Amino acid sequence: MSRSKQKESKEKPGHKLTRRSMLKMGAAAGAVTILSPTILTSRKSTVYAQGTVAEPVLCPPTPVPQSPPHTPFVDDLPIPSPAIPQFLSPTPTEAANIGGGEAARDPHQRWAEFTPAVTYQLEMKAGTHQFHRDYLPSYIWGFNGKYPGPTILNAYGIPSLVRFKNSLPTSTSSFGTNTSTIHLHNGHTASESDGFAGDFFAPPLFKDNHYANAYAGIDDFGGFPKGDPREAQFTYWYHDHMMAETANNNYLGLNGVYLLYNDKCPPWEFSTPGSIRLPAYYGVTDIPLFLGFKRFCATDATNGRTEMFQVVGAAAPGTDKFTVNGKIQPKLAVRRRKYRFRLINSGVVLNWNFSLHGPTGAQKPMTVIASDGNLLRTPADVSATSGFPTLEVHVASRMDVIIDFSQFNIGDSVYLKENTQTPQFVSTPTPPDAAPGVPIGTVVMRFDVIGNTIIPDTPPIPSTLTDLPPIPAAAPGVDPFEWGFRFIPGQADGNNFRVSHSSVAESNANHTATFLPFDPFRVDHVVLRGSTEEWIIRNDTLAGAWLHPVHIHLEEGRILERTVCSVPSATGCLPANRTPVALLPWEDGNNARRDVYPVPGQHRLRIRLAFRDFHGRYLIHCHNMNHEDAFMMVRWDVVESMAELHKRREQINAERIARGEAPLYKKEELG
Amino acid sequence: MRRRKFFINLGSDNPSSDLRAPVQGVPHVASPGPAIFTNALVRTQENKTVRFYDDLIRGKQVLINLMYATCEGACPLVTANLVKVHEALKDRMGKDLFMYSMTVKPEEDDPAALKSYAQMHRALRPGWTFLTGDPYDLETIRYRLFAMNHIAIDTNIYGHTSFLLIINDATNRWLHVDPLASMSTVLRKISWADPPKTREQIMEENKKLQQQIDLERKMFGYRMNS
Repeated sequence: MSRSKQKESKEKPGHKLTRRSMLKMGAAAGAVTILSPTILTSRKSTVYAQGTVAEPVLCPPTPVPQSPPHTPFVDDLPIPSPAIPQFLSPTPTEAANIGGGEAARDPHQRWAEFTPAVTYQLEMKAGTHQFHRDYLPSYIWGFNGKYPGPTILNAYGIPSLVRFKNSLPTSTSSFGTNTSTIHLHNGHTASESDGFAGDFFAPPLFKDNHYANAYAGIDDFGGFPKGDPREAQFTYWYHDHMMAETANNNYLGLNGVYLLYNDKCPPWEFSTPGSIRLPAYYGVTDIPLFLGFKRFCATDATNGRTEMFQVVGAAAPGTDKFTVNGKIQPKLAVRRRKYRFRLINSGVVLNWNFSLHGPTGAQKPMTVIASDGNLLRTPADVSATSGFPTLEVHVASRMDVIIDFSQFNIGDSVYLKENTQTPQFVSTPTPPDAAPGVPIGTVVMRFDVIGNTIIPDTPPIPSTLTDLPPIPAAAPGVDPFEWGFRFIPGQADGNNFRVSHSSVAESNANHTATFLPFDPFRVDHVVLRGSTEEWIIRNDTLAGAWLHPVHIHLEEGRILERTVCSVPSATGCLPANRTPVALLPWEDGNNARRDVYPVPGQHRLRIRLAFRDFHGRYLIHCHNMNHEDAFMMVRWDVVESMAELHKRREQINAERIARGEAPLYKKEELG
Repeated sequence: MRRRKFFINLGSDNPSSDLRAPVQGVPHVASPGPAIFTNALVRTQENKTVRFYDDLIRGKQVLINLMYATCEGACPLVTANLVKVHEALKDRMGKDLFMYSMTVKPEEDDPAALKSYAQMHRALRPGWTFLTGDPYDLETIRYRLFAMNHIAIDTNIYGHTSFLLIINDATNRWLHVDPLASMSTVLRKISWADPPKTREQIMEENKKLQQQIDLERKMFGYRMNS
């Protein structure tokens, strides 16, 4: 029995006091009344979802602790177990089942068209998770009490419904907020199932998220599965999107992996019609690498815990351990063949920058096949000679890579190295380098080549992986709309993470648009379902380090152009100063589709989007979770008719004029 | 914003039952107490000397912001919004909810300066106290409560003026909000530090929300303020 299991079994239901905290409390407030069973009973009505896991005793905030040391490469990489479909009671309904305990929402869109064929229940609750063999279990919040949550494996053409049940503790000593809303990241999802930040719900409610699992373009493409098959996306993750508290809740563990398959990428490797035959056996040759940054308090033997230290609210230097699938510096036994790894940056704040190194420290190639879950038209190598020496994976971004271990010998160790962040703390004194030029602290995980392959290797990676749908055409006479992401640092105004929305004409004249904090009730942009638009995402921050990984809900976008300002300006870059920057193969709109757009300071990205199939409330926000929690986020809506578009856009113009801003929409853009 | 809870509160739901600190500087059951807050002697705009933890924080739900009297940037806007917050929650102010505006320039801001600032902004209201004191103490409190471990933000005395800290010491719940966000957002966040609700309250609120959603859909065709 593992130490974590032993510990859990000791925790009896309702027994939430540890010896240490009792002693402290006894000194503090007269333990007599606190420990009285009658008090516990009288509190029953507000502790209905408390669960059986003892609440954490956190270490003091200052001084910031160094995480306990760990031995590298002793734990095997865990594979998050697949979610098991189950029948739901009460049966899911089109309109919210208020009497049955479902959270309030709009009725499901396209419910009859996509009747759920598979249903799941994921229960958000407190649990414990052991991040390393040398650690005691840590208190977490997870789906079904696990971190990472169960992986949902499903296929296009099979609509599903996931019931997210909120059983988070009603009273917690951790840093989480027990209301939540769940976003399927990348999902072409109807608004009421999209985890809109303002749609949070409290324990003991549940919420049914309906996932059509259809390709975008349902309205225009018939067939089965419905939609445009070129719109297929494969690697998703689901996570808490709680307004203003996303960082804390995700750091505590409310996230997991969601994969979709289709004919092109089926969950098997043998030849079937349409398959491009990539490594595909989940957990065997197709492995999610769910990446996290953590810091821990000193191990507290009395309470049997090594609690996570709260770094949220802190910026980059806040963490000192890298985790993969919830383990610190794990190892994975591999055989001499190709593997698909799905790199998923689960945040909460930092970006990864990877390279692969062999036993001599020499860099070895890995092949990028998908960005943000979308297959690239042409795969691209990350290697010392390809011109792309490292692979950046920004917060919430996913990069699928193929590593061919047949280039190594049996017995070799291969290292995944992180190149930008401060190396993690391993132990004192620092152990020797993993390989020449690969300091131990920079190693995220190790692959051990243990033998020749048993399952036959897949054929060479095709030189063309997919057809991309055409880049949406811009509507004539409609100017691009511009989103400005700005951090206004410690002036007399305090610190503000804000987003502006303006027309291009306004921005070209050194914009005057107001930067506003997120408000779930304020709509800053309205688009017509079925239309396409060009958007510009801009970061005015002077320091290049303030990169904002901007995420847009509902639709994938195509990047047309990236420019950097040759004359840095905190108030927007004039057209003459915009110098083009070469697009990377995994962001170029001709080769890739994205839903996370990394925008460093002084950069501008020009993208095209189509808005299809669903209406309702959606978001554009910085996915640095500290930034989105500081309200660097905006609501925009999709509407169904020209009449509604006209009405809503006039309303936005009027609101802007009332705030003393220029109107956003020209006459011809009013619809 | 960091939030520290050392113990789960299994004590009384009613903070007022435990407000009488028997001994100076003893933390409320769930709270880290003066270990975090300090128990520094601070002065109010009425030139009254009080203990920061014992008299202002212990067992209470409080809103804390930073300002200074001559501030012409965010502070007047923030203060104007806090006046609206006070207006919206005036039934609770001074009873189970308290507001503190602490100066970041104690060398300049004596109690009289704070009082005139409060008067100018119509902020002399029940349950709302302006604080000054020893610069070392106030700096300590600023770091302890507002620090983000971010050097550019933390070393700048103006860096925290757009944060409203929301603390419920009885449950040791810590939140913060940008006070320049919309009033509904600010009030919503303050409510997240309220004592836990019963299952019946949650169900009732959920039912009302659905009614509002249905009504808005009927009237406008879409959800706006629900």
